[in-house]
Amino acid sequence: MLKIIIGFLFGLAVVAGAGYVMMPHMMFHETASPFGFEETIARIQHNIQDNPVLKEHGWSLSGLRNPAKAVQTDGGNVLPVMMIEACSTKYSGPILREDTVRFLSILMPCKISIYKKQDGKVYIGTMNAGLMGKMFGPLVGEVMGKVAEDQKLFLEFDPSKPAPEIILPKAPTGGAGGAAAGGC
Amino acid sequence: MLLGKRMLALVMVVGTVVTVSMAWASTDPAPAPTQSIAPGAHSYVPDAEKKSTSTADHSKFKELEGPFATGPEVTKACLTCHTEAAKQVHKSKHWTWEFLNPQSKQRLGKKNVINNFCTAVPSNYEFCTACHAGYGWKDQNFDFTSQENVDCLVCHESTGTYRKLPGLAGHPPYADMEFPPKSGKIVKAPDLKAVAQSVGKTGRKNCGACHFYGGGGDAVKHGDLDSSLGEPSKYLDVHMDKDGLNFTCGTCHVTTGHEVPGSRYTPTAVPETSAHMRGKDSKNLATCQSCHTNTPHDVAKLNSHTDKIACQTCHIPEFARGGKPTKMVWDWSTAGKLDKDGKPFKVKDSGGHDAYDSKKGDFKYETNVIPEYVWFNGTVNYTLRETKLDPSRVVKINSFEGSAEDGKSKIWPVKIFRGKQPYDVGSNQLLVFHTYGKDDSALWSNFNWDKAIEYGMKEIGAEYSGKYAFVETEMSWPITHMVAPKDDALTCAQCHSPSGGVGRLDNVPGIYMPGRRANELLNTGGWGLAGLALVGVLGHGTIRIFSARKGAKK
Repeated sequence: MLKIIIGFLFGLAVVAGAGYVMMPHMMFHETASPFGFEETIARIQHNIQDNPVLKEHGWSLSGLRNPAKAVQTDGGNVLPVMMIEACSTKYSGPILREDTVRFLSILMPCKISIYKKQDGKVYIGTMNAGLMGKMFGPLVGEVMGKVAEDQKLFLEFDPSKPAPEIILPKAPTGGAGGAAAGGC
Repeated sequence: MLLGKRMLALVMVVGTVVTVSMAWASTDPAPAPTQSIAPGAHSYVPDAEKKSTSTADHSKFKELEGPFATGPEVTKACLTCHTEAAKQVHKSKHWTWEFLNPQSKQRLGKKNVINNFCTAVPSNYEFCTACHAGYGWKDQNFDFTSQENVDCLVCHESTGTYRKLPGLAGHPPYADMEFPPKSGKIVKAPDLKAVAQSVGKTGRKNCGACHFYGGGGDAVKHGDLDSSLGEPSKYLDVHMDKDGLNFTCGTCHVTTGHEVPGSRYTPTAVPETSAHMRGKDSKNLATCQSCHTNTPHDVAKLNSHTDKIACQTCHIPEFARGGKPTKMVWDWSTAGKLDKDGKPFKVKDSGGHDAYDSKKGDFKYETNVIPEYVWFNGTVNYTLRETKLDPSRVVKINSFEGSAEDGKSKIWPVKIFRGKQPYDVGSNQLLVFHTYGKDDSALWSNFNWDKAIEYGMKEIGAEYSGKYAFVETEMSWPITHMVAPKDDALTCAQCHSPSGGVGRLDNVPGIYMPGRRANELLNTGGWGLAGLALVGVLGHGTIRIFSARKGAKK
């Protein structure tokens, strides 16, 4: 009996350990961008805005935030970081209408982070919406699964196209506050 | 980093669970937002409102009552009191645009060097001399002995209205004019009387009028000098912080007799190690050590770095931090394309900066650039027009000399500007070409490389084989401005982080970086031996304990 309990606890510890090691890679994705900082932002924005599939799914840009700005205002020095915010009411609506999962509004709008690292390269950070969604029941799982599929289209680049212009928000969306231009 | 991600993941999962329970448990209203202090509120007092400490108010001088029709007329008035000023300026590089390197014997200065930005001054005088501290340099016949051709105003005026435009041979516009041509933007002619009466000590914006805009625009050339340093915040430059120390350029570049120290032709790579003592002669006061010495840190370990690491390496983590992108690449080889109507055109990049210009070719801009790092002992060798080059290799317009072994080098941060520019296929030498002018040979008018090169080479009296091609070039610029607050200096991990990730000095040859360039086999062997020693000690101790017990039982 003791052997069974020890074996069970050991197995539990191994699973917990494996989960601890793998969780960051599973919850978030980080990919290097083949483009410069501004071009990466602009290309993702235009993907979201111009892709017919994404348009059909209700996606629109809702903001562009600069979390580094607040740090710089306080006299701190950080490498550039920008967050593109996008939203689709087709996906946010069902979640916001359901009391039991409305707290997930904390994850809205959908964010894509573009940042530079010490190697001078530009990276794109996204959340694994599909996996996250599975934790919160069938409704959220289904919606977030679709979001995850659309997220892939956000990051499909066509290098043969010329670099588009960054879409600046109509109202300033600095580190602390923000204005939604559309979507949510 | 990985731990950070884990923590974030955990926090999100745990937070979500907590939020679920709170969603059912709590219906308390959210607290009302507190009123915050207005953003941007600070104690900054504009320069104009600060009380001058000068003992002379130039607006009260009869000599400056004017009227003045031209810049040289103002200079004449200045010279009535400042009798020696023009003679001093005549000896300075700001006037001669020439410098004879005493070590290499190379004749340098803007007049002689070919760079990989706008390339060369000869044949383009009227345009380039917008940044000459003088008036009227429009061709090779400029009179360098003329005192009244010295431009006092560009360095000493404080109205901010005095602007020398390219194409006017160093003069400001004396009537309102459209600039750039056909842009619809009008540059007002300055009121020379008001400008003359405003003179005082040289401020940041005086130096910046040229040095912020070198290479054809704001931030283009240096990377660590741009208009954001006109009114910088602490984060951008701890010394020039407008609300703090508020240094001007002259605070460090202490000028005597119009000779400004701090040349990039002979930079001081390894400065004196002690602080500057008043009255003592010093080659160059524009060094960090002049004030801070070579051992300014409270932590001894940091001080032990300063014999091999320039202060700038740690204290300027990135350049072009003021929001102005600096040009990193300029490819002249693509210049000259015209649209379907035969007209020049421009293409903008994602940030709205020129990515292509028919006049100049392709560009790449970048902000917050992480410098490259090189060993540097203060010797710079230039590829001059006469220098033979190897077109199969990247040509270094200037080479920063130095090594880990020579005992007189430090590791310096640099901006490396890359490009392509024309060279003579027959002689394997860099070419001078004519960019600006109202004639038929200027590249920016007719987009004809053959004519532009022929004209440029004729202007300098050099032979040209008649065949040109483009060669890849690199030019290094020492990074020494935009000093961050000490809390934002590089951390140890940014160079010494364990293998994997990025180490700032990974590409610097000749150094062993503790913690980073570890040999895995050696590490494993070392830890193995330590482990074995531990096992041996524990084993030996255990045996001793058991033997002692056995002995006691007996």
